[in-house]
Amino acid sequence: MRIKRDCKKMEQEIHTSFIFSAINILAAEPWPENAALYQQLKEEQILLSDNASSLAVQAFLQMCNLPVRVICRANAEYMSPSGKVPFIHVGNQVVSELGPIVQFVKAKGHSLSDGLDEVQKAEMKAYMELVNNMLLTAELYLQWCDDVTVEEITYPRYGSPYPWPLNRILSYQKQWEVRRKMKAIGWAGKTLEQVLEDVDQCCHALSQRLGTQPYFFNKQPTELDALVFGHLFTILTTQLITDELSEKVKNYSNLTAFCRRIEQQYFEGHEKDSSTTAAHSSKRSLLR
Amino acid sequence: MGCPGGGGVTLPRAIHGKPAWCHGLVDTAFGHPAGGDDLTGLLRPGGFGLRERQAARPAARSPLPAARSPLPGHEARPHLLADGPQFPRVFNATSGALFYAFLTHCEQVFSPALQSLLQAYAKFSGAPLIVNTINNCRRAPKGDLPVLVSEDTVVSQPAKILNFLRRQKYNADYDLSAKQGADTLAYIALLEEKLLPALLHTFWIESENYCSVTKPWFASRIAFPLSLYLPGKMSREALNRILLTKGGPPLYSLTEVEAQIYRDAKECLNLLSKRLGTSQFFFGDTPTTLDAFVFGFLAPIYKVCFPRVQLQEHLKQLPNLCRFCDDILTCYFRLTVSGHSPAGQDTADANLQKLTQLVNKESNLIEKMDDNLRKSPQHPPRKLTTLKLAAGGEESSPMSRLSP
Repeated sequence: MRIKRDCKKMEQEIHTSFIFSAINILAAEPWPENAALYQQLKEEQILLSDNASSLAVQAFLQMCNLPVRVICRANAEYMSPSGKVPFIHVGNQVVSELGPIVQFVKAKGHSLSDGLDEVQKAEMKAYMELVNNMLLTAELYLQWCDDVTVEEITYPRYGSPYPWPLNRILSYQKQWEVRRKMKAIGWAGKTLEQVLEDVDQCCHALSQRLGTQPYFFNKQPTELDALVFGHLFTILTTQLITDELSEKVKNYSNLTAFCRRIEQQYFEGHEKDSSTTAAHSSKRSLLR
Repeated sequence: MGCPGGGGVTLPRAIHGKPAWCHGLVDTAFGHPAGGDDLTGLLRPGGFGLRERQAARPAARSPLPAARSPLPGHEARPHLLADGPQFPRVFNATSGALFYAFLTHCEQVFSPALQSLLQAYAKFSGAPLIVNTINNCRRAPKGDLPVLVSEDTVVSQPAKILNFLRRQKYNADYDLSAKQGADTLAYIALLEEKLLPALLHTFWIESENYCSVTKPWFASRIAFPLSLYLPGKMSREALNRILLTKGGPPLYSLTEVEAQIYRDAKECLNLLSKRLGTSQFFFGDTPTTLDAFVFGFLAPIYKVCFPRVQLQEHLKQLPNLCRFCDDILTCYFRLTVSGHSPAGQDTADANLQKLTQLVNKESNLIEKMDDNLRKSPQHPPRKLTTLKLAAGGEESSPMSRLSP
């Protein structure tokens, strides 16, 4: 009996020490040169919300000074472990979405929010939820629940790499999923005006919080800055059916100045990088 | 979230819960919790003091807009009010109009949270608000609840209700800076994203909780055929919502989703605790919208006694949040009321009172409006008060389960 117990104990100890060392190894592994970020095809396929998320992750990695290549694949959504883009492929790890990527990068020893105290960290998380709750949902609503936009922009773009009828089927399927989710959270009953009003309220809150500071928390950018930049820059530079959405953001001059500042600081310095040229060209590109 | 300027209007500051001019009325409207330990105390027991107020202010009721489709019992409201437990009224001294608040279930957000939230906000800002409990949501003006009815305006969603109250100069955020207003919005988003799924899960999906507490609670107040169907429907909707918003890959089974949402909820509670720190309310010494929201979400977790209580246990480890809830309950909801039963009542009366409060509370937490219900044949309004009061025996068991 005692031998069994001792054996079990030893086994557990070996197990935990193995796990511990494995985590240490993983954490200690430096950021490789060939880290890649996957998203959908930039010119033809990617939609507003995915572009925003992808740009947010790119901005975050730039702010952490971690090099990453942007690779565009038509099936990026299906490659992703959570079904959402973007995802990064680092070493032999695949991590998707900004939240888990931030944690992953933190485990590797890079963090933007270490200098914040507890209350500020709580605020940062709250604002990130606000952006996800309002801006991201509004983008999803606009591109999947507003009939005009769906017909003219989303359907052609979403299934563009695939032949007929697959492109239509995939689009309908995705639309059905998004509409179900909207119904569950209560956005299905909203009109476009209400959604735009929500966007306005969110931008107002962000503008108030930013004030005249260069970044949301003092002088250093954090993941909140990356997220807000991703969404606002995409909204400002994407041409939709009407300009109402970007007009809402343009009402707040400190937000547009914020976007320009981050773009200049983190994206224009890398002219050769394809991601930055894409960020520039999206200004001029039509998403139709 | 900027504060609409009052232009010099002195708002009745709700430091102690109510402005002076509606003291006597609001007291009875907000009721007093007999035990104070459960949320039933938040509700006004319906019939107390009703008749004398009705005698005092006859016929100042303004009709609701005729544009809405006529609802059963609507025209007969004065009579209904006289019978039922439900509709004490209060008069806004400034405008002479009636404020009704029909607070019942809201389709989007969890109803006890909403209800406590709206009541708490009304208290903080000093708005004279009556809680009208209706057990048949078709009687609500728009069929979409909670609903605030004031003179000719009907406002139906919680955020809009709060905006409406603010426009009527009942603004709890008067002293907040613009940045604090923005913080309010952000924290509300955090609550809805992180805490609400766990709350829904605790009430509606956790099978022990659901079967022993939530379902009997709701079913006891709904008319018979619906009571078999509606709680189940609400439970399914809660599950649907959680799975759609949180349940994507890589979480494939319900247990993984549950683990994730409880982790998120605990993290959210920790963040709130850090934000609150040692101060009395979130922004200084006076309560604001954010305090109302946080209270609305925390109070159900804190006070309702469930068999499975992991969130409650976690909350109890955060003493400043517990203190926050207790403070609000003592300051704003436990009013000593004149005109209520004397202090020296015997246990039977106390239980009866608790029971009535519980029943009225249940009637607030009911059903959601749904097209099928609208189309189904109208049921006559039931006089449930007398029924429930008589049925002391079988009601006391859920009562004893619920009161700590």
